[in-house]
Amino acid sequence: MNEERIPALEVQSVVKNFRRGRGLKKKITRAVDGATLTLPKGELFGLLGPNGAGKTTLVRCIATLLIPDAGTIEVLGHDAFKDSLYCRQRIGLLTSGERTLYWKLSARDNLNFFAALYGLTGKARDKRIDYLIELLGLKEVERDRLERYSSGMKQKVSLARAILHNPDFILLDEPSLGLDPQFARFIRQFIKDELNRKQGKTVLLTTHYMDEADELCQRIAFINKGKIVDVKTPAQYKRDIPHTEVLEIRCQGQPDITPIQALPGVERVASESADGVTTIKVVAPRAEAMLSEAIEHLRGGGRILGIDVKQPTLEDVFLYVTGTSLGADTAENKPEAQ
Amino acid sequence: MSLAATAFVIRAEMVKTIRIYFSYPVIVVFWAIFPVLWVFPFLFQGRALVGSGNSAAFQHLTGSGNYMAFILIGAMVSNFVFSGLWGVGNSLREETYWGTMEYIIASPTHPLVVLIGKTLAEASVTTCIVALQATIISLLPFGIAFTVAKVLPVLLLVVMLMVGFYGFAIAFAGFTLLIKEVHGWVHTLEWVFFLFSPIRYPVQVNIITEFVSKLIPLTWALVAIRGIIMLNQRDVGLWNIVGVLLGMDVVLLVGGYFTFVALERKTRRDGTVGMH
Repeated sequence: MNEERIPALEVQSVVKNFRRGRGLKKKITRAVDGATLTLPKGELFGLLGPNGAGKTTLVRCIATLLIPDAGTIEVLGHDAFKDSLYCRQRIGLLTSGERTLYWKLSARDNLNFFAALYGLTGKARDKRIDYLIELLGLKEVERDRLERYSSGMKQKVSLARAILHNPDFILLDEPSLGLDPQFARFIRQFIKDELNRKQGKTVLLTTHYMDEADELCQRIAFINKGKIVDVKTPAQYKRDIPHTEVLEIRCQGQPDITPIQALPGVERVASESADGVTTIKVVAPRAEAMLSEAIEHLRGGGRILGIDVKQPTLEDVFLYVTGTSLGADTAENKPEAQ
Repeated sequence: MSLAATAFVIRAEMVKTIRIYFSYPVIVVFWAIFPVLWVFPFLFQGRALVGSGNSAAFQHLTGSGNYMAFILIGAMVSNFVFSGLWGVGNSLREETYWGTMEYIIASPTHPLVVLIGKTLAEASVTTCIVALQATIISLLPFGIAFTVAKVLPVLLLVVMLMVGFYGFAIAFAGFTLLIKEVHGWVHTLEWVFFLFSPIRYPVQVNIITEFVSKLIPLTWALVAIRGIIMLNQRDVGLWNIVGVLLGMDVVLLVGGYFTFVALERKTRRDGTVGMH
């Protein structure tokens, strides 16, 4: 096959089960359920789904950290497990969470160590680290121990480590999770402008932030309960939703949404709660028309704080396609295979 | 990965381990004082129990009545062994705790190479500590004198002992990836060694301990080292013991490698690499 036509990533029918417990208490959870994806070179691709949807598990399989139970993964035309050394050399990895670096070492010492793991030595290593420290604005703190860094600064070092060996294909698992807006913006711009546009890297980004996926990604896969539900561009997704309105009701407590689901014409209802406030989203052909009936059902459940009729966002499309809100935690809802 | 690049990873790992080690000043202070103070409880306890530095019963079992020297040599050699087991066995646990283990496994370097770097770093630190202990002991009146003629064969025996032991520790490191616990297992193993090898007492006091002790490389090394240092034996069957230790080294290194590789793979299959 022509070198240029070889996809950066080809995932075929990947299945990953987790086994927990022993004997009669043994429980098998299917975290990834037949995932299939193809990423051409140079694409910035998003994997969007709620917590527990299987995004991180799939990324770990691609990064060779997990061995799938079934299916194949090819990185730049090479089997990720039969030719793992080749693939590892060409994959850059960034996982979520601050604790992925040596906090007792400086940024430069961290990068020096990881450079050695990728076979980078001597002047080539020093030059590359100098370049990345400059590029990510770490010059002033490069000799300080990481324990003195903010979360955002640590994430910059993690990003530098991910691209230290100049990989062709970069896996970014929730790169802006837990960062303040300023750092999150920097990380997003860096991914889009520097990594993808300027350097032409292929990027697979997982997120449960709809805005992030919408802003950055050329194509997005919806993943829910371990299954890839759909793959399209953000614009295609928005065009595909047959409705122009989504009813959003915010109320106190956790009201029962079953009566709303039973209303005629309602296609999807999802709710998510945070800090004692529940946001209910209703997808229907004419959302406004059922406003009074929905309020009637909710009246006994708790005080209504606000009502909005909105243009559908990518999050609403996700709800429409999967029946699950992006803010939901689906870890407990994964289907069991035993 | 080329041999030079592998050597570079080992060096980078050693530098990293020692830097992190020295970033905890309390530990450094402890290890600077501990080698000087640790001998005194032995001295006081022995004197209180026996009344002098010599025991006839000990003489009967070991050929030397100097029980103090017996215990001190056992303590020094076991220090080497246990700190190796602790350091190497715990090292990958530390990496999972720091959240860096996944990045080591996701790199093209085999985690075993990183483990070798950790082993060498650990061995360097322990060698310094034990050398300091040995120097202090030789200056105190325990009847232990180190001469070049004694030190060279002792060093050979220690190296032969530790090579096999690090093989065991590598298997243990793989085991910790799976079980996510180190303290309980290291202490259990320590007590197995204390019970079945002549670290603190001559294993000849009991037929079972005498029999089981022969399966442990530490026993062979201790018997020979004591023979050289305490009894001034020129012929302790050095090359026979080196041969026995070499055989055990091969078994432990090969077994350690395959155990580690199998357990690391199992951890990736179970999806528990990053868990701690």
